[in-house]
Amino acid sequence: MVSYSGKAKDVIVLNDGEVQINFRDSISAFDGVKKEELAEKGITNCLTSVKLFEILNDYGFNTHFISKINDSQLLCKKVTILPVEVICRNISAGSFCKRYGFEEGIKFKQPLIEFFVKDDEHHDPLITESVAVQMKLITKDEAILLEAITRAVNEILLKIFDLISLQLVDFKLEFGRTTEGQLLLADEISADTMRLWEKKTGEKKDKDRYRQDLGDVIVHYKDILERLNSIQKLPEYKPLSTVQVIIKLRKSVLDPAGEVIFRSLSRKGFKRIESVRLGKSAEIVFNTVPSSDLQSEIEEISEKILSNPIIEDFELKIQHHSEKSEKEHFQEE
Amino acid sequence: MQIGVTKFPGTNNEQDVLRALKSLNVKGELIYPWEEKKLEDLDALVLAGGFSYGDYLRPGGIAAQSPVAEKLIDFEKNGKFIIGICNGFQILCETKILPGVLTTNLSTKFICKWVNIKTETARSPLLKNLAPIIKIPIAHYEGRYYHNASGIKKINTEDSVAFRYCNEQGEITQESNPNGSMENIAGIVNAKGNILGMMPHPERASFDYLGTDFGKQIFVNLIEEIKC
Repeated sequence: MVSYSGKAKDVIVLNDGEVQINFRDSISAFDGVKKEELAEKGITNCLTSVKLFEILNDYGFNTHFISKINDSQLLCKKVTILPVEVICRNISAGSFCKRYGFEEGIKFKQPLIEFFVKDDEHHDPLITESVAVQMKLITKDEAILLEAITRAVNEILLKIFDLISLQLVDFKLEFGRTTEGQLLLADEISADTMRLWEKKTGEKKDKDRYRQDLGDVIVHYKDILERLNSIQKLPEYKPLSTVQVIIKLRKSVLDPAGEVIFRSLSRKGFKRIESVRLGKSAEIVFNTVPSSDLQSEIEEISEKILSNPIIEDFELKIQHHSEKSEKEHFQEE
Repeated sequence: MQIGVTKFPGTNNEQDVLRALKSLNVKGELIYPWEEKKLEDLDALVLAGGFSYGDYLRPGGIAAQSPVAEKLIDFEKNGKFIIGICNGFQILCETKILPGVLTTNLSTKFICKWVNIKTETARSPLLKNLAPIIKIPIAHYEGRYYHNASGIKKINTEDSVAFRYCNEQGEITQESNPNGSMENIAGIVNAKGNILGMMPHPERASFDYLGTDFGKQIFVNLIEEIKC
């Protein structure tokens, strides 16, 4: 019994916690305006997803992938998909160029993160974080976490594809929540959901071959999979996440230190200050990739140890801890 | 009889407490943060004052995460006595064994002076036979007792205030409140009466040559309670 049928996959609910995902041979573009069946497309994307989910699981990401049932079916954790998907761009291409009129191939100093609403009727529009939060599609905490996870995934995938002479141009991630509230990387990760260019020639190896009628779609999809399967050893990578915890005295609590600073500043001639409150901040580096589990752990630390709830409040921001500084990002080539 | 006196890095009042106990013929035993197993053999524990772990995070905040502090709850549940003095009071609040929190003095100054306090409850045997008004030293930067409105209400309904700052006549006035503590609170006892936390230092008011021995009665009470 198919519980949900998408443009390229069917989802069958097996029990309370698990689903089976069947990959079909359908391919479509431009919100389904262009579509057809391509032999072996389902198998190729399924196996590519398996490979990439296995790699991400290895590095400690929380994903929905449990195991492969057969070459076109996955066993996954059941999630409710978030209405917002995340795009990470290393090089300008696709809708980014169309939207702004920028040329294709501009290398970004820092990867760009964009949120899109999953809504075919409105052609999956771009949405700013503040609108997504305001319209309650995602929470502020989720937005921060989605960005942190996506940046960490990007760092790993860049390394993986670099090993097999492919340039990761951009990719899309979908996320879902389990009934217990855990945030998981979901859907598929394949040549359908990313742009990959041959490093030396710039030849397109991804779904743009279909969108732009370049032909040999499956030949290139299969080549990506073969190259992924040829990887003997995963690249060295020490996953790190940085968390900034800001501890503030509650508004109802007098802050003598803030008051003294205020008076001192006023005496110095800074007359436009209304008030000063002094807080604390802690930067904690975790040796793991960002995840909702980590978020819960930090909340526990902040609530039980870093702050005293009688007098203090806290705010936290989880960030992917980049291995490289921004300027080094594209210097390797 | 075995009374432990805690010594965290930065504790600096343990010798004064030991001296007060010694004058009552009790040899106190120093307890280091990692010696939580020793607590089982103790009859009582005094959390001595100072600046444990540099008071990083919050006063007593790091000491409250130590192995010894983790066992304080069991110690309390077994009905054993704990007296937390100054930093010790801050540790008791940070471990949530006593309600509320101690924060920066209103003056933002370190205050080291003699004050007057009066006993507010008879619920703890540790507070028996005390002088009506006790002259006693304080020495702290973060001694302002604070709790939210419902917390303060609960403390009063449950008769948990051990001491309030007062003037020489025993009147609880704003002028006699050295640090801005809510309702002049200088010390708190728990419901069972076996845990006392106080900012003033009874061990520094335990000998005539220090000016007064009004504070000694608290240690006398502690020793008597253990005996019976």
